[in-house]
Amino acid sequence: MIRKLVTVVDEIVAEPGAGATEPVRRAAAAAVIANPWAGRGRVDDLQPEVARIAPEVAVALTERLAAALGGAGAIEAFGKAALVGTDGEIEHGAALIHTPWFGDVIRQALDGTSIIVFSDARGPAGTSLVVPVWHKTAAATRSHYQTVEVRVPDAPRPDEIVLVCAAATGGRPLARIGDRTTDTATVRLEDHRP
Amino acid sequence: MKLRKVVTVVEETRTEGGRAVDPVHRVAIVLAVIENPWAGQGFVEDLGPLIDEVAPQLGELLAARTMDALGGPAEAYGKAGIVGLAGELEHASGLIHTLKFGNFFRDAANATTLLPAVEKVAPAGASFDIPMKHVTDYTIRSHHQSVTVAVPDAPRADELLIGLAAANQGRPQQRLAPLATEL
Repeated sequence: MIRKLVTVVDEIVAEPGAGATEPVRRAAAAAVIANPWAGRGRVDDLQPEVARIAPEVAVALTERLAAALGGAGAIEAFGKAALVGTDGEIEHGAALIHTPWFGDVIRQALDGTSIIVFSDARGPAGTSLVVPVWHKTAAATRSHYQTVEVRVPDAPRPDEIVLVCAAATGGRPLARIGDRTTDTATVRLEDHRP
Repeated sequence: MKLRKVVTVVEETRTEGGRAVDPVHRVAIVLAVIENPWAGQGFVEDLGPLIDEVAPQLGELLAARTMDALGGPAEAYGKAGIVGLAGELEHASGLIHTLKFGNFFRDAANATTLLPAVEKVAPAGASFDIPMKHVTDYTIRSHHQSVTVAVPDAPRADELLIGLAAANQGRPQQRLAPLATEL
């Protein structure tokens, strides 16, 4: 069912103009699958295919992320995405990532509790997808808002879908924009209301 | 060597043409983004001193990581050197076309043949195809293949993107007649 898996790992040790950083690794794993609704027109009940396909894909993706990043314990942030081939509906991608058959499997595999941030798109093979990730147990942790870019040169074909799970071992390199606590200490919101 | 980041890509192809690929076809690519060691120096006539310094560092780093990412013996391999827009093509060529770079990979892969290469000057995010051939006999047609990669934010104008690629077998569903049958 999975035609191809692509795992990309970025290990960042310096930022342009700013010099060395604490090393951080972020990764995305992408699975290329046949769109199970291809050629069937409008299918009203998407759940049977979701239940059959999404858990297996989520397991394959999280296994690769854990292996690439040093296990679930080393992962601090996660995200997900779907890229639908040009003959499919956006709803096909949404169906496969926005259900417990995908999200709960990811949370369980990566020891997370947060809602999982996502992106989706439709495009030709080779479309680059920017996948957001945020903290796996405290989604509002500002230092961990970041993205991982992934691209599979030969996918999705028009009747395929690329499903992605992404993760990071830490926050952004050189994160230093504070958080909500430091904001309220220095900013009076009433000064900025119209 | 001033390293900014290392990017590792692993592709696993399970089906091709609708048929299972067994064993799974695997390709590993590891790319190092470094500051161009000749950046800002104008035309440097003798590239030798910095080749001697930097090429072995890159060769050692990339060979070990590529074999680790592949997770088994390599049957085909290749290399890449992409130069940021402020550099010369000769800068990447200098670092990859030397035994001081390639022999780390040959040793790690038990390989003997020349490493096929892609070299170009390109902006950050440029897509490039790394050619690969068999590690001990470059006439083995089943193993001629290439893999496409891109790093969204590299190489910056003053950077080089240097990489290695290895495959665990020939093309998925390879079934062409060997070269010898046409001679």
